[in-house]
Amino acid sequence: MLKWSFHWLGVFLLPSLAFAQGAAEPVTGPAAAATTPAADVDLEEIRRALEADVQAAEKDAPTFTPPTAQASGRRMFNPEISVIGDFAFAWFTTDEPRQTGGHDPAETGFNLQGLELSIRQSVDPYFRFDGNLVFSLFGVELEEAYATTLSLPYNLQARFGQFLTRFGRYNPTHPHQWSFLDQMLVYGKFFGPENNRGLGVEGSVLLPLPWYAEVLASMTDAEGAESTRSFYGSADVTVDSPADFQYTLAVKQFFPLSDDWSLNWGVSAALGPNPTGRGNRSDIYGTDIYLKWRPITTAADWMYVALQAEYLYRLRQVPQRLLRDHGGYAYLIWHFSKRWETGVRHEWVSGVEDDPLDPEWNEARHRTSGQLSFFPTEFSRLRAQINYDRPRWEDPYWGFFLGAEISVGAHGAHAF
Amino acid sequence: MIRFVATLLFVLLGAGTAQARLNIVTSVPDLAALTKAVGGADVDVRSLSLSTQDPHFVDARPNLALALNKADVLIVLGGEMEVGWLPVLQRGARNSAILSGGRGYLDCSNHVALKEQATGAVDRSQGDIHPGGNPHYLRDPHNGVACAEAIAERLAKLDPEHAALFRTNLDAFKADMQKRIAGWEKAAVGWKGSPVLVYHKSWTYLIEWLGLRPIGTVEPRPGIPPSPAHVARLIAETAASKPRALLQEEYYPAGTSRLVAEKTGATLLHLPGGTRFEKQQTYPEYVDAVMSKLGEALGREEGE
Repeated sequence: MLKWSFHWLGVFLLPSLAFAQGAAEPVTGPAAAATTPAADVDLEEIRRALEADVQAAEKDAPTFTPPTAQASGRRMFNPEISVIGDFAFAWFTTDEPRQTGGHDPAETGFNLQGLELSIRQSVDPYFRFDGNLVFSLFGVELEEAYATTLSLPYNLQARFGQFLTRFGRYNPTHPHQWSFLDQMLVYGKFFGPENNRGLGVEGSVLLPLPWYAEVLASMTDAEGAESTRSFYGSADVTVDSPADFQYTLAVKQFFPLSDDWSLNWGVSAALGPNPTGRGNRSDIYGTDIYLKWRPITTAADWMYVALQAEYLYRLRQVPQRLLRDHGGYAYLIWHFSKRWETGVRHEWVSGVEDDPLDPEWNEARHRTSGQLSFFPTEFSRLRAQINYDRPRWEDPYWGFFLGAEISVGAHGAHAF
Repeated sequence: MIRFVATLLFVLLGAGTAQARLNIVTSVPDLAALTKAVGGADVDVRSLSLSTQDPHFVDARPNLALALNKADVLIVLGGEMEVGWLPVLQRGARNSAILSGGRGYLDCSNHVALKEQATGAVDRSQGDIHPGGNPHYLRDPHNGVACAEAIAERLAKLDPEHAALFRTNLDAFKADMQKRIAGWEKAAVGWKGSPVLVYHKSWTYLIEWLGLRPIGTVEPRPGIPPSPAHVARLIAETAASKPRALLQEEYYPAGTSRLVAEKTGATLLHLPGGTRFEKQQTYPEYVDAVMSKLGEALGREEGE
């Protein structure tokens, strides 16, 4: 039993030990063999080691080089800064287009979708900072500003600040990462024009399995008309208990089917309160897949075909009723030459009759889109998109878009 | 119960001892081959990319982050070669040892003299340039040797038990390379001053090592695909110099190069982009393959 207690003590002490040591040591390999704490280590020994390490860290502090996630060999203290501008010209065959996204081309004419200023840098050996400010013609919006831990043990990682929750595959992405230039309908309807985000904390762990499997949980504010429509949304509610926050849970798995084929699969849940009365809840469940073929083994590695699809199911408790609706999308991208790609997309969202929380949108809606994009370099993109939008409560209409995107500053790295 | 606890403790705490080999991940296969030459049977080596992939544009597939999660060492080309994909993997790996600046992170560009370092103002109107210098330095085998030295030194530091072995392997590798370099240089004596074209400025180190004369690039600027006007100008300007060869990695599109080669009289050489590490090819075998292809265009008999 004694061994058990020490082991658990170790579990709780190790994270702080890692912090006190500067960069955490790798936990595998021969180096680890020498540093792995023995089971019979006593408390006094740990305390002494901690003190010694703190003193050593203080002594070494001025010369310490913080590890960073930059591939650059140059050392600079200015953060990496980049600016990405998205501009569009739109033409709709209706006077009242119903684009959902806060950064969509929303009316006929020229549109500034957004000018994103992204700032990122390692804070110290323990944290990295990421910030995204989005400028529109009349204001600035703090899209994201969060810190990510860099050296937690046991494959853990935590984030805190304002961030897009990692629900599904589409939610945490920014407009310049999108293959189509407007927001997915289902995200606009279930979460709001900015996708789901909020102030909060997130923890995640990479499971010790032979394949990539990550489990994450976050707790964020359930308020915000732009990003939590299914939860408190624009309602002004005071927080009384932990039940007044939104909780997001997700499992993300990746299967490298071969060098050329990749499959990503995720399941997510976003759970939180809604404003229709104390205790009433909204639950959103989702699953997403991303299947990509890129023939890297045959030296045509600029070519790829990718299929992405998501399905979301929503339950909302309101007085005397349980509302159920769902929606999703699927799109296929064919990057057929080094500079060109084309894609098709279909989206649908169901509606709930007499929806008390969403009276404007209580019938089904389908939208089909096609796009053709030209990438002069990886720092610019010109594209054309056509939408055929079919809200059941009014006549179908067309949308035509021409978009231009430019990116300057630090070279960003692309997530898969 | 006691047995269960003992087993659990062994699994949880003893995992490090069970896996007493260095687990090394490299960004490109050339570095993996160099690491294998130095580490021998006592290290596990894996490359994040294949030789058929353009190392500028590798997908940050999550299984690669998993490889980095378990890695003791990450060895990269540096010079911003991997800037578009590696940082995502490093962050996703949850392993502070392999973050840039970590004890297991080795940037080989710090151990060679980089050419074409930017002086003065730099922006992307000059193309997708690497301000710190041209990162395709492994095309000169002298730099391969320099990297192998840096790798051996790092491995010895991280695994002192096998340090002597790594140094012995390094000495053997260097001796072998010295002999081979002398052979390659002898074979290339007659190539000195031969005018050549390249697709991307990725052959600079090879060209300077062998004393070839670069007279034009198919890409108007690094990373920018050729326009018809540029191709016409390139042909007009270089045809008279009678370029002997057009050097290009197999992962770049060949249509334009074929036309340029045909119009200028150059031989289009489709060269492997890197060591076929996944097929157990070694780094000297890769240089050999490149040299033998070059021989097809520039002639063998002169040097032999």
